[in-house]
Amino acid sequence: MANPSIVPPLRGGSGLRGAAARRKTLTAYLFLAPFLVIFGIFVLFPAVYGLWISLHVWNPLLDDHPFVGLQNFFDLFTPGSITYGDFWESMRATGIFVVASVPFLLAVPLAIALLLNRRIKGGTVFRGIFFAPYVLGVAVVSVLWRYLLDPQLGVVNAVLELLGLPSDIPWTVDVPWAWISLVGITVWWTLGLNTVILLAGLKGINPDLYEAASLDGAGAWRKFTSVTLPGLRPVMTFVVTVTLLSSANMFGQSFLITQGGPGTQTRTAIMYIADQGLVQNQMGAATAMSYVLFAILAVVSVINFRLQRDNTK
Amino acid sequence: MKNPTLRAAAAVAILGLGVSLAACSGGSSNSASDSVRAEAEYSGPQVDITFWNGWTGGAAPVLVPQLVAEFNETHPDIKVKSNAMEWADITQKMPLAIKAGKGPDVAVAHGDDVATYAAQGLLLKTDDVVEALGYDEDDFPEGLMDAGQFDDSQYGVPWSVTPLGLYINKDVLVKAGLDPETAPTDQKSYLAALEALKAAGVQGEWADGYVFTGTFEFESLLWQFGGELFNEDVTEATFNSEAGVKALTWMTDLIEKGYSPANVAQDGNINALIGGETAFNWNGVWQTTNEALQSVDWTAIPVPQIGTEKAVWSSSTHWMFPANKNQDPDKSAAAATFVKWMNDNSAEWASTGELPAQNTVREDPALLTDYPALAPFLEQLEYARYETVSPGITNAMAEVTTGVNEAMLGKKSPKEALDDAAEKATQLLKQNKAQYGG
Repeated sequence: MANPSIVPPLRGGSGLRGAAARRKTLTAYLFLAPFLVIFGIFVLFPAVYGLWISLHVWNPLLDDHPFVGLQNFFDLFTPGSITYGDFWESMRATGIFVVASVPFLLAVPLAIALLLNRRIKGGTVFRGIFFAPYVLGVAVVSVLWRYLLDPQLGVVNAVLELLGLPSDIPWTVDVPWAWISLVGITVWWTLGLNTVILLAGLKGINPDLYEAASLDGAGAWRKFTSVTLPGLRPVMTFVVTVTLLSSANMFGQSFLITQGGPGTQTRTAIMYIADQGLVQNQMGAATAMSYVLFAILAVVSVINFRLQRDNTK
Repeated sequence: MKNPTLRAAAAVAILGLGVSLAACSGGSSNSASDSVRAEAEYSGPQVDITFWNGWTGGAAPVLVPQLVAEFNETHPDIKVKSNAMEWADITQKMPLAIKAGKGPDVAVAHGDDVATYAAQGLLLKTDDVVEALGYDEDDFPEGLMDAGQFDDSQYGVPWSVTPLGLYINKDVLVKAGLDPETAPTDQKSYLAALEALKAAGVQGEWADGYVFTGTFEFESLLWQFGGELFNEDVTEATFNSEAGVKALTWMTDLIEKGYSPANVAQDGNINALIGGETAFNWNGVWQTTNEALQSVDWTAIPVPQIGTEKAVWSSSTHWMFPANKNQDPDKSAAAATFVKWMNDNSAEWASTGELPAQNTVREDPALLTDYPALAPFLEQLEYARYETVSPGITNAMAEVTTGVNEAMLGKKSPKEALDDAAEKATQLLKQNKAQYGG
């Protein structure tokens, strides 16, 4: 298996030390207990309860919750049903956003991290600058950019006009511009986190390796591909997974900046699920959709882990 | 309940329950009932009542506590505690609170929510309130009492109305050589004004496909062309009728003919009016109190009659009496007295950008002396149309907005956009019927 360095081996392995190992395990579980209780109440139980809800027409405000078996799931795969069209359109929107944003959310922070990793004057200041937007809430970010990107009255189009460029770009209103805006805003907003994590990863790479590579006559690019990237692998796996999942869960930006428009083209899966469950009170349908989304993300995560596995050994 | 026998049995049971409840709500003061005992002047023991509302913006946060304090002072038997929170929070919290017996004794809701709450069994009937307080259909603008009804019972008592109007930036008209005092009233004069503005390099009305402006303009025009959003029993969407297509085509033509820019963002049009970039904006009476607008030389007039008849969109708010578990009938009765007093003393409500619903208050000449900008909105109430009453209706209405949005952004033709939206809306109406009945 990959990277033995991430997790130190827990078990001693030999039979003589078995009892001690068991005691260690027990201690570990004791320490884990408070977390497990909270996890059980707030994650595990709702997840299972959600599965139960997904088998019903579940309007929380009505006393009657008719059992419908897998109907909510069948509806999601039956063209012409009440949820089919909207759900898959929202899944498509989510897919577009993930595919468009994840590469930027990896490449840009990596490039910035590489620059910040050099011993430059004021490095800390730059690190602060890149991280700053991340501390803002999604509402602040969205309202801010909605004003800046307003097609007729926004600053961005006004600046474009000054530069003699097309100045009637419907940034927040029409696709593909709305996607460019949503991806751009998200990258600007969240790249700080990935940058900081990758920077920490870079600091963890043994400098001797670079020196050895230099002695072997490696250039900058060769050092990057043969030392930096492999050295970052465990950190990268984490960053890719977290970025994929958080992009797939995008909600606030679409909700506040494009209102899901034009029509419903930028309405993400989470946005549609929230609308179904919390606004339309169709909890059964909403939970069924959540499980389908969950299943797809689980598959994507597994594939991602496999791809990132160290195959060099 | 797919089984017809079962359904019939249930219907009989429910009817029987209704009859027995109606029988005991006749006059005795403390019997459990599904409707409110009401008196114009409350005469029970001293009670504390809670009042939930979503008035968190504008003048309301100052005005409501003032009114409540005044009421408490003049009614030693009743102490009202007002609780203001965001509308969205109310929508989420109130149903569960009522089910748990922790909801308010009286609350305010928008017209399109009353039937939904009623169908969920969250409200007490207010037929008796209306009668005991001496209210009559004629005490409110036409059609407003109906907007608080569900299943042949009254569940809401009107509080305010908020029609659309045509806002005008006078300076822009003057710059284009138009007389701001001769406002457009019909299709011909409105087009003439837009044409003159266009000649002067101004896009006169920024048309969009968002709720509050585009959607409500579409609805107004739909009615003006003789169409309806839904059929009589709200089982089928009919806004894709010929009238609907005419209405939406009128709006997309504004862009086509260069009277409006394409791709207007939400709130872009009111901001453009304030910024002096456009002359007209179809917007709600709530904009009369928009502070940014006060820096502009503006006026408002009734929306022009583009179609064959007069009509204008309006929303409304209503008082409701929640059916909390173990609701104390004295508290509901006291709440009715509070409602009556609030309605009678609602003149100041105009300062929040809504029109008081009660005719006697609205028709008092003093109202226009204090708030002259409201005149055109008052004038329109004769033919104002209110939101559709049907449980869960907001999901079908969201489809209207989607359709209008798609057409205004040129994604689909008006006909195609409305057909698609109507098909979806009809599906949702069927789902609503299946779940809420009614």
